[in-house]
Amino acid sequence: MLMNLRIKFTKKGYLKYISHLDTMRLFQRAFRRGNIPIKYSQGFNPQPKMSIANPLALGIESEEEFMDIELLKKISEQEFIEIINNQLPDGIKILDAKYVNDDKSLPSTVRWSYYEINVKTKNMMDKNLLEEKINEWLNKKEIMFERRRYKKGKEIKDVKNIRPLIGNISLVKDNKNINDDAKYIIRIRCLLKSGDNGSLKPTDFLEALDSYLSLNMEIEMADIKRLNIFTEVDGKIQSPM
Amino acid sequence: MINRISFDRVLKKVEKPARYIGMEKNSIKKDLSKVDIKFAFAFPDVYEVGMSHLGLHILYNLLNNEDYIACERVFAPWIDMEEEMKREGIPLFTLENKEPINNFDFLGFTLQYEMSYTNIINMLDLGNVPIFSKDRKEEDPLVIAGGPCAYNPEPIADFIDFFVIGEGEEVVLEIMKIYREFKLKGYKRDEFLKEVSKIEGVYVPKFYEVYYKEDNTIERMEPEIDGIPRVINKRIIKDIDNSYYPDKIIVPFIETVHDRIPLEIFRGCTRGCRFCQAGMIYRPVREKKVETLLELAEKLVNNTGYADISLTSLSSCDYSQLQFLISKLINKYGEKQIGVSLPSLRLDSFSIDILKEIEKVRKTGLTFAPEAGSQRLRDVINKGVTEKDLETAVTYAFEEGWSTIKLYFMIGLPTETEEDLLGIRDLGYKVKNIFFNFPKDKRKGNLKITLSASCFVPKPFTPFQWVGQNSLEEFNEKINLLRNEIRDRKITFNYHDPKLSYLEAVLARGDRRLSKVIARAWELGCKFDGWSEIFDYNKWMKAFKETGICADFYALRERKYDEVLPWDFINIGVDKSFLYSEYKKATKGIPTKDCREGCNNCGINRSFIGGVC
Repeated sequence: MLMNLRIKFTKKGYLKYISHLDTMRLFQRAFRRGNIPIKYSQGFNPQPKMSIANPLALGIESEEEFMDIELLKKISEQEFIEIINNQLPDGIKILDAKYVNDDKSLPSTVRWSYYEINVKTKNMMDKNLLEEKINEWLNKKEIMFERRRYKKGKEIKDVKNIRPLIGNISLVKDNKNINDDAKYIIRIRCLLKSGDNGSLKPTDFLEALDSYLSLNMEIEMADIKRLNIFTEVDGKIQSPM
Repeated sequence: MINRISFDRVLKKVEKPARYIGMEKNSIKKDLSKVDIKFAFAFPDVYEVGMSHLGLHILYNLLNNEDYIACERVFAPWIDMEEEMKREGIPLFTLENKEPINNFDFLGFTLQYEMSYTNIINMLDLGNVPIFSKDRKEEDPLVIAGGPCAYNPEPIADFIDFFVIGEGEEVVLEIMKIYREFKLKGYKRDEFLKEVSKIEGVYVPKFYEVYYKEDNTIERMEPEIDGIPRVINKRIIKDIDNSYYPDKIIVPFIETVHDRIPLEIFRGCTRGCRFCQAGMIYRPVREKKVETLLELAEKLVNNTGYADISLTSLSSCDYSQLQFLISKLINKYGEKQIGVSLPSLRLDSFSIDILKEIEKVRKTGLTFAPEAGSQRLRDVINKGVTEKDLETAVTYAFEEGWSTIKLYFMIGLPTETEEDLLGIRDLGYKVKNIFFNFPKDKRKGNLKITLSASCFVPKPFTPFQWVGQNSLEEFNEKINLLRNEIRDRKITFNYHDPKLSYLEAVLARGDRRLSKVIARAWELGCKFDGWSEIFDYNKWMKAFKETGICADFYALRERKYDEVLPWDFINIGVDKSFLYSEYKKATKGIPTKDCREGCNNCGINRSFIGGVC
C-alpha cells in the first residue's frame, strides 16, 4: 500500500511571491492537468489529499520543500516527475519523488529549517569580531524577544525566550563584505525551529540578532532562502527524504 | 525592459506582489523584437478583477495566435505599488516581458465600468504616455478602447485615439492587418487613423465635431473629414458557433474574483428588462452548439486544471439546451471533482430543476434578483418574475438545506413609490416566514437573509435612457426609510453609496465636455473610484466646480424624446423608437413579452441579421 508519494521541490525566483495557499492551488491544478490520480477526502467539500511539510512565508525562496500526496493508483516516480515538471512554472521544480510508508503526517514531524540569508547592513565590524559576538549571543542563557503577531486585526505582543529556537549560526566563508552604496552585505546561515513544536521566523531572528550586533540591517529587504527542512523521528534529526 | 533590481526591491514592499510577476500557466511571452505589432491589453483595475474578465482571455489569445502580434497584459497597479514604482522610477510595464507600455504600438483599454475612467488616465501617465490624444506624437502608442462602456464613448473622447464599438473578435484583426501594412509602407499616425475610421465599428473622436445649443444640449454631431461614416454601426459576430474561442486561458497564481473556466454559451438576451444595457446592446441572441461547447470544455479542463466550469452569458438559464449540456458535463467531469456553475439564476421552476442537478455538492449562499419590491414596479422594469416564483424558489432552497439567501433590489426606479419600497421589506419578511413555517426539525442551518439595494443608474441604449436619476436627497430618504423599517436579527439590509451611483450616472450619459472634468478629477488625485474605500466624492465635486460643468445636468435631468443624445451616432441595431415605446409602456406598467415568445420589433433583425433572431 505505498500510495503516499513524497515530493521534493524548489520554490525560487519570482515564485517566492506566491503564498502557501497559492502554492497548494498551483499543485492541485498541475495534478489535474497531468491527470494524476489523486485521492480526495470524503464528504461535503472533497479536497485532494495533499500536505506541504511546512508553509513557507511569502518572499522566501526555497531549495527544498516537501509535500506528501495520496494517490488512488500507483504511478512510477520518474513518470510523475516528468509529467508534473512539464506543468510547473519556472522556479517551481520537482527534484525527487519517493513512495513513503510513514504513519505520522509529514507536517507533524518537521522540526527545523536551515536558511541562508543575505542582508545589507549600514554598519560593519571585523569578521572575527562578528563571529565572536555571534557566539557570545548564542552562549547567553536566554535571548528575550518581543514578537508581534496579528490576530483578527489586533496586534498581540509577547516576550519570549527564543534561544531554544535557534540551532546554530554560521557566517558563510566566501563572505565578502563588499562596499555598495556605503552599505555592507553579510551572508549567514542559520538553523531555526520550524513546525508544530515552536518556530522562529527568519525575519524575527534577524531583528533579534541585529538588536545585539547593532549592524543596522535592512531586514525588510533581506534575501532569504530555505536550504533544508529537517524532521525529527524517534529522536533522530533527518531529511524528510 | 524595466530595471530588474529596482523591481525586486519594489516587490518586497508591496501587498500581493504576485499581481505583478506574470509567468502564469498559459501566459504567452514572445520575443518582442521579432514581432511586427506589440499590443498591450490594458485593464483599468487591479489584476484580480481584470483576470476574471472573459474578454481579456478571448482577445489575448486571439491576438497572440497571430505570429506577427505579441499581446501582453497590463493592469492598474494598486496604490502601494504605484507609490513604490514612482519612488524607484519604474514606468508602467506589461506582465509578460516587463516592458514599459510606451514601447507598444497599441494600448487597448477595456471599458467595463464608468468608474474606471480615472484609472485609464493614471495608467497612461504612469506609462509616460501623454494623457490627451491631441498631445500624442508619432512615436507614442495608439490608445484604443472597447467594451460595454464604449457604447457611449463621449466622456473619454479626449483621451482615446479610437474606439471599437461592439464585439471585437473580427474587427481587431482587421485593424491589425491595416496597421501592419502601414508599418511596412511607412506609418503616419493621422493617415492610419483616417484609414481605420472607415472600418465598420471604428470611431475616431477627433474626426467629429459636436455643436451645442444654448441650453447646453447637443445640436448635432458632424464628421469633419470626408469619407467617414456619420453613424457608427456596432460590430457583431454573426456565426458565434464558429467564432474564435480560446482553448487555453491563463491560470493566475493568486486568487481572483472568478477562479474557473468561463464557457460562454451564448451572447445576447431576450428578456428585455428595461433597466439593462447589456440586454439591449448585445442583441441578437446567438447560441453556441452543445458539441462545440463540450469540445471546448474538454480542452479548457485539460489546459487549465480548474475545478469549476461556469456557463457564462446573460440570463444563462435561457440556453435552449441547458439541461442537456449540464447533464453531459456532469456525467463527464463529476468523477474528476469538476463542478458546473451558473452565474445567475432566475426564480422560475425550470431554474430550480437545473439547480438540483448542479448543486449536488456545495451549499453556498443563494442569490436572487427580484430587482423591485412590488409586482407593479417589476412590471414597470419588465422583470418577469412574480412573488410566487420567489416563494417557490426559497421554499425549495430551504428544503434542500440552504439557509443563506441574498435578494438584490434597485431603488430609485422610475415611478417608484413608498409602497414599492416597503415591498422590499415585505419580501424579506416573507422569506423569513417561509423558513420558520417549516417544522423545527425540518429547518436546516441558521437563517440569514440579506436584502441588498443598489441605486438605479439610467444607462444609454435602454428604455430608461431619458429619465432623470433620483437626487442624493431622494436616495438617502429612501435608504433611511428602509433602514428604519427593516429591523430584524435575521435580515440584513445593505445599500450602495448613492454618491457613487450619482457619479456613475453622470459619466454613463455624459458628452465629450466631461473629458476635462475627468482629467481634473485625476489631477486632484481621483483613481480607483469604484473602490468605496478610495472613492473621494468631494474631489470629484471640486473638479466639476473648477471646470464649470454641472453634474446634475447629466444625472438628474429628464431628457425629451427629440433631444440629441451624446451616443445617438452609434447604432446598436435596436431602434430608438423601440426604446422609447418601451419607456412609455414602462410608465404605464405594461410588460413586454420575452422575444423567444414572439418578435417585439426592436429592429435588430432588420439592421443586423436580416432575418429571424
